[in-house]
Amino acid sequence: MSKLHHSRVPAYLDFLQSMSGLILALFIVGHILFEASILLGPDAMEKMTLFFEGYYFFGARYPIIITLLAAFIFALFILHAALAIRKIPSTYLQYKTFKTHKDRFRHEDTSLWMVQVVTGFAMFFLGSVHLYFMMVNPSKIGPYLSAQRVVEGWMWPLYLLLLFCVVLHAFVGLYRLALKWGWFEGKNYRTSRKIMKRLMRAGIAAYIVIGLASLGTYISIGLHLDETPAVKVDK
Amino acid sequence: MSDTKPRKLKINILRYDPHIKGDEPHIDTFEIEEAPGMTLFIVLNDIREHHDASLKFDFVCRAGICGSCGMLINGKPGLACSTLTSRLPDEINLAPLPFFELIGDLSIYNGKWMRGMNERLETWIHHKEKELRDIDRIEEPMDPDLAEEIYELDRCIECGCCIAGCGTIQMNENFVGAVGLNKIARYRLDPRDERTDADYYELIGDENGVFGCMTLLGCEDVCPKKLPLQSKIAYMRRQMVKTGLNNNIRKCNCLQHEEKMPEH
Amino acid sequence: MNIIYTDVLVVGGGLAGLRVATGVQERGHHTIVLTLVPPKRSHSAAAQGGMQASLGNCAMGWGDNEDIHFEDTVKGSDWGADQQVVRMFVNTAPKAIRQLTHYGVPWNRVRKGKHESIINAEKVVIEEKEEAHGLITARDFGGTKKWRTCYTSDGTGHSMLYAMDNKAHEDRVEIHERMEALSLIHHHGRCYGVVARNLMSGEIVAYIAKATTIATGGYGRIYEVSTNAIICQGTGQAIALESGIATLGNMEAVQFHPTAIVPVGILTTEGCRGDGGLLRDVDGYRFMPDYEPEKKELASRDVVSRRMIEHIRKGKGVPSRYGDHLWLDITILGRKHIEKNLREVKDICENFLGIDPAVDWIPVRPTQHYSMGGIRTKHTGESQTLKGLYACGEAACWDMHGFNRLGGNSVSETVVSGMLVAEYISDFCDSPQSHIGISTGAIEVFVEAEKEKIHRLLNNEGGEDAYVLRRAMEKIMMEKVGIFRNGKDLQDAVEQLEQLHIRSKNIGVFRSKSYAANPALVVAYRTQKMIKVALTVAYGALLRTESRGAHAREDYPMRDDINWLKRTITSWPDPEQTLPTVTYEPIDIMDMELPPGWRGYGKKNIIENPDSAIQQAKIDAIRNELLKKGADRFAIQKALMPYEHLLPERYRGRNERLYERFDEQKDDQ
Ligand SMILES: Cc1cc2nc3c(=O)[nH]c(=O)nc-3n(C[C@H](O)[C@H](O)[C@H](O)COP(=O)(O)OP(=O)(O)OC[C@H]3O[C@@H](n4cnc5c(N)ncnc54)[C@H](O)[C@@H]3O)c2cc1C
Ligand code: HEM
Ligand code: SF4
Ligand code: SF4
Ligand code: FES
Repeated sequence: MSKLHHSRVPAYLDFLQSMSGLILALFIVGHILFEASILLGPDAMEKMTLFFEGYYFFGARYPIIITLLAAFIFALFILHAALAIRKIPSTYLQYKTFKTHKDRFRHEDTSLWMVQVVTGFAMFFLGSVHLYFMMVNPSKIGPYLSAQRVVEGWMWPLYLLLLFCVVLHAFVGLYRLALKWGWFEGKNYRTSRKIMKRLMRAGIAAYIVIGLASLGTYISIGLHLDETPAVKVDK
Repeated sequence: MSDTKPRKLKINILRYDPHIKGDEPHIDTFEIEEAPGMTLFIVLNDIREHHDASLKFDFVCRAGICGSCGMLINGKPGLACSTLTSRLPDEINLAPLPFFELIGDLSIYNGKWMRGMNERLETWIHHKEKELRDIDRIEEPMDPDLAEEIYELDRCIECGCCIAGCGTIQMNENFVGAVGLNKIARYRLDPRDERTDADYYELIGDENGVFGCMTLLGCEDVCPKKLPLQSKIAYMRRQMVKTGLNNNIRKCNCLQHEEKMPEH
Repeated sequence: MNIIYTDVLVVGGGLAGLRVATGVQERGHHTIVLTLVPPKRSHSAAAQGGMQASLGNCAMGWGDNEDIHFEDTVKGSDWGADQQVVRMFVNTAPKAIRQLTHYGVPWNRVRKGKHESIINAEKVVIEEKEEAHGLITARDFGGTKKWRTCYTSDGTGHSMLYAMDNKAHEDRVEIHERMEALSLIHHHGRCYGVVARNLMSGEIVAYIAKATTIATGGYGRIYEVSTNAIICQGTGQAIALESGIATLGNMEAVQFHPTAIVPVGILTTEGCRGDGGLLRDVDGYRFMPDYEPEKKELASRDVVSRRMIEHIRKGKGVPSRYGDHLWLDITILGRKHIEKNLREVKDICENFLGIDPAVDWIPVRPTQHYSMGGIRTKHTGESQTLKGLYACGEAACWDMHGFNRLGGNSVSETVVSGMLVAEYISDFCDSPQSHIGISTGAIEVFVEAEKEKIHRLLNNEGGEDAYVLRRAMEKIMMEKVGIFRNGKDLQDAVEQLEQLHIRSKNIGVFRSKSYAANPALVVAYRTQKMIKVALTVAYGALLRTESRGAHAREDYPMRDDINWLKRTITSWPDPEQTLPTVTYEPIDIMDMELPPGWRGYGKKNIIENPDSAIQQAKIDAIRNELLKKGADRFAIQKALMPYEHLLPERYRGRNERLYERFDEQKDDQ
């Protein structure tokens, strides 16, 4: 293998991978919460949508903001995925060696990495579909339209999978980010790691619950759409 | 000590002798009666002496300080000499550390790998002037805390457990591993070594070095010397990213290495 | 036939071997190191205590110098040491430690101001000087007047060995690991290298060199329990012996350490007792005050070891599957103290015994620890009888330890002798005498002989089981050639070992027939060698009818300076003889700078030689006269016993200390 003498590229790539991951993860942490506004009722969700479309700033709705936001995230997403591909086992042999190692070793953090690879790989498809939709149909967001898409558009299986993938991937990723760069090491970095691992588990559990609840709500709204036609407020 | 009947231990050993034609990797099982204070060092020597004289394994210090006896103990890398059987279940699976060249059975040629790693990372003090200070004179003072800090990282015994526990190296055999990254952290700390971060970037600023590490922390969790690997790798990563993103990368001292062409 | 040529061949990759190798390599001679294991795994890594060098930086070492270190070492040796060699050693030790600093050893440093310490179980406050801040500090070790033992936490040997191996990397020394020297190649009284076996492939290789150095460490493993690494099997001494020409010195001088854990024989530091730990017997009774009312547990190593064995012999030992032992009780020191000051003891207890020393007593017994004897050499490290063969480190007897070495003096010896011997070897290689004058045919004879031996071992059906012989030898050595020795037991031991030696010629390797990596084969040929080494120890001990240093005869409890102030020299000129040939090399009191006297500890049990008083009077006269003239200590020393001419020129300089500054001295003149 040739060595990249004096090349600064590896430093940039490593930095970008983590930065993109960090922003994506923080975005997801917010995003799932915002989506969960549906739990407070359709009105809350509606207000949230209005908020993101800039209604409260500009006095009018600009779905283009959503498009831009989605495009930005999509770009990051692609960047991140492109960088991550370097790490994903590229041949079956590599995968096999790693898997043998993981199964024999039964070491949690090693297995967690595998979780990240698998969920990342899955999101490659699931996330792309979702993001693409959001980008091209920014105006079709709202409690009822979204709910309709979830149920009638048969998006719910995709969302269900995506939820698990993204939550696992994001929290494991955040945990690993902190260790990777030595953030929050405190006085005794070993104790800090234990605490962070607990936080990671708590985060995963909380977000899965919240996510499932929101998804459930959308589904139930979606199933009952016919019964409440009167309330169709969208344009 | 209690009078309860001693346990019968079942020892399953993964065996293979590459020097014997037609030999295939297989498991041999031995039964040993447990005794108080019994370590795997005692178990394996007992097997060799009384059951199978051809069983190959390595012990030197049998005290956890020389790093010879790393092996997979129920799947986990560790030092056999400092593993008490009382901490293990009735059935014990032993296998050689993966990744390293196999000599036979549990014996591996990790000395060769370590030598290569040391040569590659130039793990010695680099003085700019080859002529050292007069050794008749009083030595240079060093901060007492710093001296102890350096020793904390110097405690690595090159056992290779961190390599065997590293998923990254399974997929990239050129990776220097936690043992290598820790060594760079050790020399970086040492004021007697005049290399700069730019010099270290030369050595570990790529996918085979610190940027290859995926923070799986197998190393941190198996290191028998409990070296602060996680913390030191993170530290080196920060320093190397800083160096890489800075523009003065070309200002390295290049103490040993002349300007090398990218080689293949 | 595979023949590898080099300028200098070094057998052994411990501290001594590596220091020789880098020394000659830096003088421009190509060097190859052979070693059983990667150099960093050598036994030198195990030294925890420290390295003696009279730097005098710390408060308790203040005022130390070469003279005091010399005196401590000679007394420690019970006047068995070669005093000129000791002089060479003490003058070079400070240089060696300072050089190791350049190689990367961190060494613990002096911290200015007050700190607490425990001396003889009592708390004292020590104040360190401001100007010493950051210089190399030292700790207390048995048998020294000043605190002189420099250390790196609990891993002195480790940090030294790693620094040396890294230095060898830097110097591009060629290292061939898992390569075992089987025999010396020699021709017309000149050594030309070794026949070696690759422990992985089984290949037999001839290494041919201008100079060959043996730095293979000690022979502790001829004993049943030893603190030594399991590769310290004395094969280096054995191959020298088997040459029939090279000789061994003082092989009966073997040191024991009182408190190694049972069963595996790992050392627990002297600090346990120094801090107030107690020894107890099967009834939990503290027995040491009965034997040594004054010093109790704090008597010197050999005294405590002997008392423990005495007590076990009275039936007061604690029986266990691994034999009788006693208890070391440090629970009284309290958890806090143990976790802070005796961390490594706690780790050893947890990892190897599964006990908590803050609650449980530690099973201990006296255990073989150090080999003072070895390949007899001149002060240059060259064998007295086989030209071109050198030895240094624990493998050698050049002879600075005499009959007892001081703790901390041996790692120091390894690097110092390595530095010096490297110079002498380089000088030899630079001279025309170093020409290699051996034909391929002659080399082949040696190679074939080894191949033949291995072939015989592997094909001897129904021969002796090497393990059986090995265990018998270990047991004999432990029980009859151990801490206490007496004529009857030693006689038995020699006879039984002789039988074992004869039987060992008929060893056969069962079950495991591979010519390549084959532990059974290794056990077989090493056992043959080890039994010979054991015989030199037992036979030397039998003949030496006195007690000196670590050699303690119950039937001859006196140190006998009239008849026994001499070195035991052992050789094996005829392969067919079943006992080694023993001769003696006199030590002349009239050459001594420090004539025999009382060591200042242990029993005052000496048959004095009248020469001692005469020489002492002579010395006193010279000293007084010079003192009157205002001569300094260097001038006095020179008048008493000149030695500087023996040192290589580059290492003749004086050593600077805080209280002996170079510039100050120059100002005075
Ligand atoms: C537990 C313990 C603690 C100690 N603590 C201290 C201390 O605090 N202070 C102190 O001064 N001393 C101490 N000592 C003693 C000291 O460690 C040794 O005397 C010293 O390290 C010996 O070094 P060496 O280089 O001579 O040999 P070793 O380090 O033993 O090296 C021998 C080398 O020879 C090689 N070798 C052997 N046979 C062959 C062969 N046939 N062919 C090829 N290669 C061969 C081996 O592979 C090895 O590399 C301690 C000893 C023990 C047991
Ligand atoms: C196509 C989709 C994605 C793929 C293929 C992917 C893949 C990966 C892989 C393989 C890693 C491990 C990299 C390493 O060990 O160095 C990783 C890290 C990470 N990912 Fe993703 N990921 C994707 C999407 C996302 C999304 C949507 C988020 C946000 C929730 C995210 C957040 C993170 C974080 C925070 C890390 C840790 C960063 C680091 O180790 O430097 N990823 N990703
Ligand atoms: S870092 Fe730890 S696990 Fe790795 S080689 Fe060193 S001591 Fe062994
Ligand atoms: S943290 Fe880095 S070096 Fe350690 S096991 Fe993981 S990938 Fe390997
Ligand atoms: S034998 Fe030395 S570490 Fe296990």
